[in-house]
Amino acid sequence: MTVLTIPSRRRAWGRSTAMIIVGAVVIGAFWSVDVNWARLADLPAQVMHYLWLMFSDPNWSKVPEALGQTWKSVAMAWVGTVIGILLSFPLGFLAARGFSPAPVRWSMRVGFAIIRAVPEIIIAIAILSVTGLTPLTGALALAIGSVGTLGKWGYEAIEGVDPGPIEATRASGGNIAQILRWGVWPSATPDFISFWLYRFEINVRSSAVLGLIGVGGIGDMLTSYTQFREWSTVGVLIIVVVIVTMGIDAISGAIRRRIVEGT
Amino acid sequence: MRDVTVRYASGVVALKNVSLDIRPGEMVSVVGLSGSGKSSLIRTINGLVPITSGSLRVGGYHLESARGGELRRLRGEIGMIFQGFNLAKRTSVLNNVLVGRLAHTTTLRTLLLGAYRASDREIAFEALNRVGILSKVWDRASSLSGGQQQRVAIARALCQEPRLVLADEPVASLDPPTAHEVMDDLRRINQDLGITVITNLHLIDLARSYGTRIIGLRAGEVVFDGPVESASDAVFAKIYGRSVESADVLGL
Repeated sequence: MTVLTIPSRRRAWGRSTAMIIVGAVVIGAFWSVDVNWARLADLPAQVMHYLWLMFSDPNWSKVPEALGQTWKSVAMAWVGTVIGILLSFPLGFLAARGFSPAPVRWSMRVGFAIIRAVPEIIIAIAILSVTGLTPLTGALALAIGSVGTLGKWGYEAIEGVDPGPIEATRASGGNIAQILRWGVWPSATPDFISFWLYRFEINVRSSAVLGLIGVGGIGDMLTSYTQFREWSTVGVLIIVVVIVTMGIDAISGAIRRRIVEGT
Repeated sequence: MRDVTVRYASGVVALKNVSLDIRPGEMVSVVGLSGSGKSSLIRTINGLVPITSGSLRVGGYHLESARGGELRRLRGEIGMIFQGFNLAKRTSVLNNVLVGRLAHTTTLRTLLLGAYRASDREIAFEALNRVGILSKVWDRASSLSGGQQQRVAIARALCQEPRLVLADEPVASLDPPTAHEVMDDLRRINQDLGITVITNLHLIDLARSYGTRIIGLRAGEVVFDGPVESASDAVFAKIYGRSVESADVLGL
């Protein structure tokens, strides 16, 4: 019988350490969150109770008003997206490698990263003192939030386009603006339109949340009726929000798929 | 071109003390293996690759000092054709050809769709007609075959009304019959329009049958420069640093 020489197993110290740290963080997190675990047992019953209150006899008479408020929210999201596109478009080019000097590029990128780190609702609270409790505040907050993501997606798309047409436009004597227009834009169009639509979907959802601070729209209405504990109306509002959001997602998603596939 | 040296930021020396004179109306084939400096040589001529030392005069321009607008004007007078066609695939053939007018039109006109002057469009139509694909003018570039795309690229170069056309391995991505058609197109623009054509090639038979002069590059240095007739197999063996193989000819 031959004796197998088994190579000694290398100890993956790095991996073990990482696993221990992750484990410690998980346990520590549970420890530090002050949860009344005993109440968890009541949760299913409570949830059923409120679901019953909301959906057993929905107050359908509120549907027209709910639709009106949803329209306001969607309008807020749309305006926010359009302003976000207008701002992020030039800024995205400034952040792309090869189209602007490094200091400009990096300050743009840091700016986008900071915006992405701040939730829209915080942005809304920050600009509230200037613009007041109006849908404009919501739209502006969504616009600023959109710049963070659209700017990043934009410069990544620009850097990822086929370099061939860029070289060709440069070789024909094009200046920076012309290179962007005829070397970059034709290849990047589908990406950009797809990003814009996707960001609109996100903004539709965010706009409902923004209502919580009182800038209007369906979120505002939802907060009010929750505070009044008018559960039958809350149920209707939730149904409307879910259906409208899913509808917009489905339509926008279908358009995006067509754009990406239709080369 | 006098004592031109090109050293890239990576430290690679692509051209070493290259001195050449190319006269108007010539059809020159630049041959050499990949990495011999062909692409760098051709790109120094329109300033896509800056020269590290030496001097290079093209038309009335001095490449070692040309910057910004001057460089763009020079490029506007030099057409360029690439191995990968380098068309904007998602837009129309006409828009691609009109790229050739960029340096001859105001920026504002070129940025807006359809704002080119009628005279610019006329030049584009004529350029497409010259390479025989005017019928495709409204098609998307991506819907064309490789040979047709390269012809669009030639039309784009012609649209510049250039005095010089640079072609970097123009047929390396094409099948043999199409390769000959495209080389024929290049020869025609040289003979009919008197445009100087400098073509990078690695296939010996193409270099011999198209063009009047061969420049051999090896490791960034000119190792041969003479008329086609004097470029024997022995000359190519010297340029390539090995004996000529069957893979070095296109055949057909």
